[in-house]
Amino acid sequence: MRSLLTKLLVLLAIVVLASWTPSSARQATSTGQGPALTSMGPLAFGPDGTLFAADNQAAAIFALDLGAQANGGAAGAKGLDAVNEKLAALLGTGAREITITDLAVHPRTRNAYLSVMRGQGEGAAPALFRVDGNGAITMVSMQTVRYQKVELPNAPAANPTARQNPRTQVVTDMAFADGRLWVAGLSNEEFASNLRAIPYPFASVDTGTSVEIYHGNHRQLETRSPVNAFVPYMLNNQPHLIAGYTCTPLVKFPIASLRPGDKVRGTTIAEFGAGNRVLDMIVYRKGGQEFLLTANNSRGVMKIPTSTFASATPITTPVETETGGVPFEKVTSMTGIRQLDKLDDSNSIVIAQNASGALNLQVVPLP
Amino acid sequence: MLRAVAGWLGGWVAGDHVSPATKLPRYLATYLATLLLLAAACGRAPATASNPVIALATPEDGGTAYVEVTGLSASELDALGSADYTADQWSEVLRVAVAPDAPAMLGTYAVTGSALRFTPAFPFDPGRQYEVRFDPSRVPGTGEAAAPIVATLGRPASTAVPSTVVARVYPSGDVVPENLLRMYVEFSDPMGRRSGVEYMKVLNEAGQEIEGAILPLDYEFWSPDHKRFTIFFDPGRVKDGILPNREMGRPLTYGGSMTLVVSREWRDARGLPLKEDFQRTFRVTAADTEPLDTGSWGIQPPPAGSRAGVVVTFPEPLDHGLLMRALGVTRGRAPVEGGIAVDMAETRWTFTPASPWQAGGYELLALDILEDLAGNQIGRAFEVDNFDTVDKSPNPQTIRIPFMVR
Repeated sequence: MRSLLTKLLVLLAIVVLASWTPSSARQATSTGQGPALTSMGPLAFGPDGTLFAADNQAAAIFALDLGAQANGGAAGAKGLDAVNEKLAALLGTGAREITITDLAVHPRTRNAYLSVMRGQGEGAAPALFRVDGNGAITMVSMQTVRYQKVELPNAPAANPTARQNPRTQVVTDMAFADGRLWVAGLSNEEFASNLRAIPYPFASVDTGTSVEIYHGNHRQLETRSPVNAFVPYMLNNQPHLIAGYTCTPLVKFPIASLRPGDKVRGTTIAEFGAGNRVLDMIVYRKGGQEFLLTANNSRGVMKIPTSTFASATPITTPVETETGGVPFEKVTSMTGIRQLDKLDDSNSIVIAQNASGALNLQVVPLP
Repeated sequence: MLRAVAGWLGGWVAGDHVSPATKLPRYLATYLATLLLLAAACGRAPATASNPVIALATPEDGGTAYVEVTGLSASELDALGSADYTADQWSEVLRVAVAPDAPAMLGTYAVTGSALRFTPAFPFDPGRQYEVRFDPSRVPGTGEAAAPIVATLGRPASTAVPSTVVARVYPSGDVVPENLLRMYVEFSDPMGRRSGVEYMKVLNEAGQEIEGAILPLDYEFWSPDHKRFTIFFDPGRVKDGILPNREMGRPLTYGGSMTLVVSREWRDARGLPLKEDFQRTFRVTAADTEPLDTGSWGIQPPPAGSRAGVVVTFPEPLDHGLLMRALGVTRGRAPVEGGIAVDMAETRWTFTPASPWQAGGYELLALDILEDLAGNQIGRAFEVDNFDTVDKSPNPQTIRIPFMVR
């Protein structure tokens, strides 16, 4: 009996110590087949076709090996009107009961993948669909998908015996670069930007880098604003992340500076206007020039030549005009964009809301 | 097993291949099909080989409801059981859809015993009607087959009564600063997944909606149990002197009031609206632009040997969510187990230890993420207008405030 009591006390001590995480991050990785995602989106493809899917409900990221399910479809992706209604019908429900959480293009097949949440209540479940070059919609069966999973460490708690930590971490965007999955997130209790690097194959998650920018329109050091979207990009042969923040500074970070636990100041190179946030961004080449294309929630689509990014004058004083920094042009032909990805060298693929509220999957030539 | 059956009569009344059906009003067709379902549930009219019957069945263990076609002949069942069909081919035999012109819903097909069964990939929605069409001519090896039969089936709608309410809102006091950054809305029961921004509005003292007050982020700022939703006020309008602030002003105005309104249309986890609308009015006071100063906190140490709480008081309300997480007690750098209570409009924090206090030194541990209602942190105001100041501190930093127990 005494032995049992001793074991129980040791176990209790381990539990208490394990829950004491003031500055370090706990993490767990696992592998298997048939991932049990509780939610899905954002999505990001790795160069080998691995699909990274954030499960924000479970504060985890899955690396999905689609296996043979990535094959068999006609190359490319075809637009589909009222794609939300079609997906809802396949899921046996109404269009109001689903949410398309992200759109991503497979790097080899150029098929479009859409993550969807079916239902809004306690029975809500995720689904993943492929749209091929003929417009055929196929649901990816998770049963045969092999996966790796990494849990995002929750933020520290000063009270180790709190019964439940109501803080949650929301992944706002992901991108694969430099052998690592970069993850931007924010929480429901801190209005902070945090970028994490996760080496793939998954082994661990770093504690994240708190990214600090100077927000010209906000006349201050801005640390607590969410990164809405970002892309990896090479500047002067150095890998960078180009990030769009709420209200809407465009910021560059050298990846080499993003060290775990540090607070890093990014360089603000443009201000694209207040009351706005970036929904998605892609990089493409046209006419011998590279461009960043951003879809915004209230300021439409912007086309930004990247040639000025490396030498752009950092914005370190208040921008008194509506916009400032590197030049851009508005793409007035693209409206109602909710999701954006690059389909191929000539086309983007978008989910656009039309005047009647329907969501259309559209292939749009890169502007 | 509770089985609702809509047989050939269901197809007759609702079908598009049997001429009388098309002349029947839809409500009558539904009525007759319902009658048939009730009759079948009572165990009448077993199917025969020439009488295929479409049924919606719910397993007794509460598993996923499925559609069955019974009354098929042994040869038909054998042919279907050995068929190597694609999903599209199966749906030509047995098609289940949300509407006559909608694509067939996804699911699996199997021959089980004496029936062809369709199990949907996702459960049928309660209260939604599904169009089911069985085409005997598509069964392999069928020669002169009967016309398709169609039935409209569905699980009953929920009869639950809305009961979820807004249980509390933080800040719990009646006063908020002009530059309020964040609020929490707590519900009595778990809510659905949909973000709440569209169901909330902020009114000024004249009862007019303050446009753009709430930051319309698309993410789900729920606690894990889906009972607490976080509202972020648009910092672009909160911060002093910045362009959106100069153009539109702060959403809240010193000397006025703000009323948070939560519409009952916001759905809970059961898909039901709230029991009632909610609103609460706050008086708006001056902007708070000062960082937290731990020197202004009061600590009332408890007596040794007791389990009385150590009480920490603040000169202003702090963020409720962070008070529950960013403050703790240590002894010799080891955490002390205990419970936390926050009251007095988030100006008082009490830690009650699991074991009696020992005489000697303890520390109040504060993480520097702790914030007041305006987002000011310990030693760092939300508004910092100095580009030369770069915070190099590791993230997060902890602050330790010693106190003695005697």
